[in-house]
Amino acid sequence: MTAETMTKRELPQGVGMLTPGWLAFFAVAIIAAVAGLLAYTNQLNQGMIVTGLRDLGTVRGAPWSLYVAFDVYFVGVSFAGISTAALIRLFNIEKLKSVARMAELLTVVALLLAALAIMADLGQPLRGIVNLFRYGRPQSPFFGTFALVIAGYLFASLAYLYITSRKDAARLAERPSRLRGLYRVWAAGYKDTPAQRQRDRLVTFWLALAILPLLITAHSSLGFVFGLQVGRPGWFGSLQAPAFVVMAGVSGIGHLIILAALVRSALRADRRITIDVFAWLGRLLLVLVFTYLYFTVVEVLTTIYQASATEQGLSDALLTGRYAWIFWGSIASLLAAVAILGWMALMRSWSVGWSVFAGILVNVAAVGKRYLIVVPSQTHGQLLPYGTGSYSPTWVEYVIIAGLFALGALMIGGFMKIFPIMPMEEGE
Amino acid sequence: MRRIVTILMILVGLALMAVSYFRWAAPWCATSVGCSDPRLPWAASFVVLGILIAISASIFYAVYKGDD
Amino acid sequence: MTKYAMAVDLDRCQGCRACMEACKIENNTPQAVFWMYVFRTETGEYPDTKQSFLPRPCQHCNNPPCVKVCPVGARFRREEGIVLTDFERCIGCRYCEVACPYGVNYFNWRQPMAALEAYELDFTDPDTSAVTGGVIPSYKNPDLDQLQGEEQRLTAGSAHNVGVIEKCTFCVQRVDKGLQPACVETCPVSALQFGDIEDTDSPLSVYVRNRSTFKLLEELGTDPSVIYLGGSPPPSDVREIERPLTEVTS
Repeated sequence: MTAETMTKRELPQGVGMLTPGWLAFFAVAIIAAVAGLLAYTNQLNQGMIVTGLRDLGTVRGAPWSLYVAFDVYFVGVSFAGISTAALIRLFNIEKLKSVARMAELLTVVALLLAALAIMADLGQPLRGIVNLFRYGRPQSPFFGTFALVIAGYLFASLAYLYITSRKDAARLAERPSRLRGLYRVWAAGYKDTPAQRQRDRLVTFWLALAILPLLITAHSSLGFVFGLQVGRPGWFGSLQAPAFVVMAGVSGIGHLIILAALVRSALRADRRITIDVFAWLGRLLLVLVFTYLYFTVVEVLTTIYQASATEQGLSDALLTGRYAWIFWGSIASLLAAVAILGWMALMRSWSVGWSVFAGILVNVAAVGKRYLIVVPSQTHGQLLPYGTGSYSPTWVEYVIIAGLFALGALMIGGFMKIFPIMPMEEGE
Repeated sequence: MRRIVTILMILVGLALMAVSYFRWAAPWCATSVGCSDPRLPWAASFVVLGILIAISASIFYAVYKGDD
Repeated sequence: MTKYAMAVDLDRCQGCRACMEACKIENNTPQAVFWMYVFRTETGEYPDTKQSFLPRPCQHCNNPPCVKVCPVGARFRREEGIVLTDFERCIGCRYCEVACPYGVNYFNWRQPMAALEAYELDFTDPDTSAVTGGVIPSYKNPDLDQLQGEEQRLTAGSAHNVGVIEKCTFCVQRVDKGLQPACVETCPVSALQFGDIEDTDSPLSVYVRNRSTFKLLEELGTDPSVIYLGGSPPPSDVREIERPLTEVTS
């Protein structure tokens, strides 16, 4: 479809228009996604021996690593959507409206990727799907993650995304296009009356209100997966649940900033995704990063002051030993982000480029910190005298993770081609 | 009608969640074989179903083409 | 009410590791998997070194963290104290492995035949029978394919499926028949005892009576069923010596 063949009332925001740029993006992403799939089939055929994961204990390996770390990471990214939607709806922040839909989409995609990451980690994935539904035990923290996060949080975000998109679907269904049938179904008979708008306002308010406690419990339950394990120094403790909630916010808002900038650039949407959006998100991110740094300082100080022998060894590995480069690298990234965001906040002069850079920095730090949560407590956290262990990922793990990112990009990029990524304006 | 069904869906969903979590799914213990099995087979799926029903109430409320 | 326990007498244990071998043969565990493991540790600096040995089976905790975290109830505890894994229900999430403070879990990273072939000896090979004199029986233990106990689950033996977790079972296939676990049976100095700790007249109860005992990592609240006599818990500065092969080589 080229510009010439379109009617005057064309589909907005590049919907249905496969530009060369988009096709190039699609090609790269699909190659990466397929590579991830091939790596996964390799893992299924040969068993997880093809990864760098190994047993705790006598083998001195780490049975949990990149897949679990990225599962936590993706759940963290999902924080963005609903918190932004909730902010907009509950506090009537008009300025952020243009990024509301992409934030909700980010949540949905991130949660799907999180589910896939955990599937990649299971030794018996098909059994996993069936048995979790058949035998799921609430006592296991995994149950909370599975039921609350995947079922509750994901579905609630989907519901929110759907309800807020019906109006646009109805408008698009009035125009001739190849996707008209889809829009009709999507709109499900939406009529833009004052009563309907009132209904939508009411239901989105209550849904946003209901999703907030769901968000807290979902991220906390993920923290509990680690925090309740008395046998893993560095994991056990009540700080994990709240820390997971805060870290989620950091990576989520960071991602949203990056996504908003990409959409703004791809759709030349400077007028709609204004600098105010980045100022708002940047300030929120600044607060969240400060809170997370506070948690980190508390944790480190406590362990340095007094800790069990194993915890001291773990702390040494993090601060000065094998994992020091990841630890200090992540801290440096967070501090750099604080400096950048703080400067812009102080000067009241925001730049999209610097905001994106800060968003990238916090996500790099988030990946590093997730890795540090998961792995060192296994290699350096043995309570019996097995000695310290080691772990290094293999190409299979890297490619599967890259494939997951590519899949997420495909889902978002694909969505943008069938539906407007920003809520339509009156004249669109 | 819209309000009634919506509230009903929320209540049914929450009730299903609560009943299947506390009474039908595996009990919160670790000391015997019985602790490893749900008291009703597939109880975990009812917890999920309860969540889905409660959330779907919002979609119903928005989409229902009824009175008003 | 039967309550199984194991006593490990550290004053008798000489670190010969015959129990590790017996466990391997009885349960058909593949390379680098040691359901029963004996630490050989050393403290001090030469020439004032002191060696100690610590057998470490699964502790079969009465407050087992591994059972609590299993999302599907594949890891479960029998009333009588044995903690088992249902190899047909396990989804391979390895949560029990990271939850265990004692590091006793082993995951089946590779397909079973590949694992067993890695070191399964061919007893018909003339070079092998020259050494064994044809006396060594076939390696595969047929009892391990049976469903065990009242619960009728596949819980005995090793390497049944790829992608599932496994660990010491107190030789459930033997105990259910009234026999002792393989390690207990084999120990040349009777450092290992097994039996009903609730029965005050059982050999196990008589053995531990009036002895000072400790349990590993007791402060974690796991309430293990393995009772250590003599000796003391390993200090944190101890170092392992003479580790067996712990990485799969093929």
